[in-house]
Amino acid sequence: MPQPYTVKPDSQFLRRVLDQGGADLKQCFQCATCSAVCELSRDGTPFPRKEMIWAQWGLKDRLLADPDVWLCYQCDDCSTHCPRGARPGDVLAAVRQEVIQEYAVPRFLGRWLSQPRYLPLALLVPVVLLGLAMLLRSPIEGALGISGRTSEKIIYAYSNLLPHWLLISFFGLFTVATVVAMVAGVRRFWGAMRAADPDGQALRPLWPSITAALKDIFLHSHFSRCTTEQGRSLAHLLVFYGFAALSLVAFWVVTAAINPLTPRFAYPFNFWSPWRMLANLGGLAVLAGCGLMIRDRVLRAARGGRSSYADWLLLGTVLAVVLTGLASEAAHYARWDPHRHVIYFIHLVCVFTLLMYLPYSKLAHLVYRATAMVYAIRTGRVRPAEDRGDGEPPAQSG
Amino acid sequence: MKALDNKAVVAVAVVVMLFPVGYSLVASVFAGGGGNEPFLERPQGHDQCIRPTRYMRFHHMDLLKRLRDEVREGRRGDEGFDRCRECHTARERFCDRCHHAVNLELGCYQCHYYP
Repeated sequence: MPQPYTVKPDSQFLRRVLDQGGADLKQCFQCATCSAVCELSRDGTPFPRKEMIWAQWGLKDRLLADPDVWLCYQCDDCSTHCPRGARPGDVLAAVRQEVIQEYAVPRFLGRWLSQPRYLPLALLVPVVLLGLAMLLRSPIEGALGISGRTSEKIIYAYSNLLPHWLLISFFGLFTVATVVAMVAGVRRFWGAMRAADPDGQALRPLWPSITAALKDIFLHSHFSRCTTEQGRSLAHLLVFYGFAALSLVAFWVVTAAINPLTPRFAYPFNFWSPWRMLANLGGLAVLAGCGLMIRDRVLRAARGGRSSYADWLLLGTVLAVVLTGLASEAAHYARWDPHRHVIYFIHLVCVFTLLMYLPYSKLAHLVYRATAMVYAIRTGRVRPAEDRGDGEPPAQSG
Repeated sequence: MKALDNKAVVAVAVVVMLFPVGYSLVASVFAGGGGNEPFLERPQGHDQCIRPTRYMRFHHMDLLKRLRDEVREGRRGDEGFDRCRECHTARERFCDRCHHAVNLELGCYQCHYYP
């Protein structure tokens, strides 16, 4: 005997979904064309039709616990074929943004980054923190007795103002804070998904599911099944691997002191050093990917698609990181004093904005989407196999 | 963009990213260290530069430019390339090594003589 179900709409949630890109949501009349045309939708748990009615009714709890929202790559197949112009792809993007904000710890940071009027404040935080770090540098060096010794191996004008030990401890501290915040959000997300699914549901083993999800992420297998927006997966691949390259170089530099492969190490690298070449290539790959993304967004807008503030904030931050990084390098080679220090400072502020606001910005998709993919594979929603069109109802028990 | 094309992009990305790691590995095994830190010869018989080492490391160019300007104004002191050469006898074994390591072109000797 099914229990009576009382619909508890959350009008605030609905309002925010409408404001953050899902403005055509109310056009939906539940024909399910979207779920039928979606390449990624599965027979057992099709989407996005059910998400459309949940969103229309403001059923926040259901959407917050729904992994299917994160299986969508917004390729616009549904939005293109929708007979009502309800743009389900844009609605799901708005819902994802709302999920990030709802799970954000602390939550106010999620709201800050979703509203343009808080942008100056959000940017002021890293400026003040980095400025404080620069001011406190001498007292700390004095207290630790490391003054004058820290930059012995660094032939670099920047290290006078921001020595590596300071940058590594500063960014290391905030990276730990970011990871803690992200883990807290993901735990709530996973718990909500478990609670929403039937009790006693059989789960596939964890590690093979994680491996399968990582394989999908590294190859962009599902992402590249889009037919309407075919270029999106390539643009994303460029940005993804560009950042992977930049992270690898950053890791190499940060760990140089304890790396047995680099007993003798001077910074900066020679322009033709393999590491600098990799960093420059990575930066150019991100730049090319961002260019493709801007082009795609302009073309989407011509077809009636919407990009939200969160979309542009992330793309703008990524672009700012790469452009200020390349400008900083150019100014260094041009020995453009003292401007190169200012450009470098701005670059660090951009890097902080990108990395430390990760749990609160659209960049959190990195973690939430990966989590949802692992969950979808564990519950049988998504088969890890690469083959196409093998939709099979998920194994359910209980 | 088909998955096969993605695999090609990913393969290129992985090879490009592994290259510096392999390079550093090979360099550390065969060339005695993958670092690029230049080897600077310490001058014999002197343990003190005309300014603190840390100042010279970051601001030697400022000092040289100031000395240059003073000469142009007719004030030649006892500091200059002659003074540098007392300890750093060959620029190839001192100035050039750092400048090569960090790939910064050295413009001083296009005009000035430093044997």
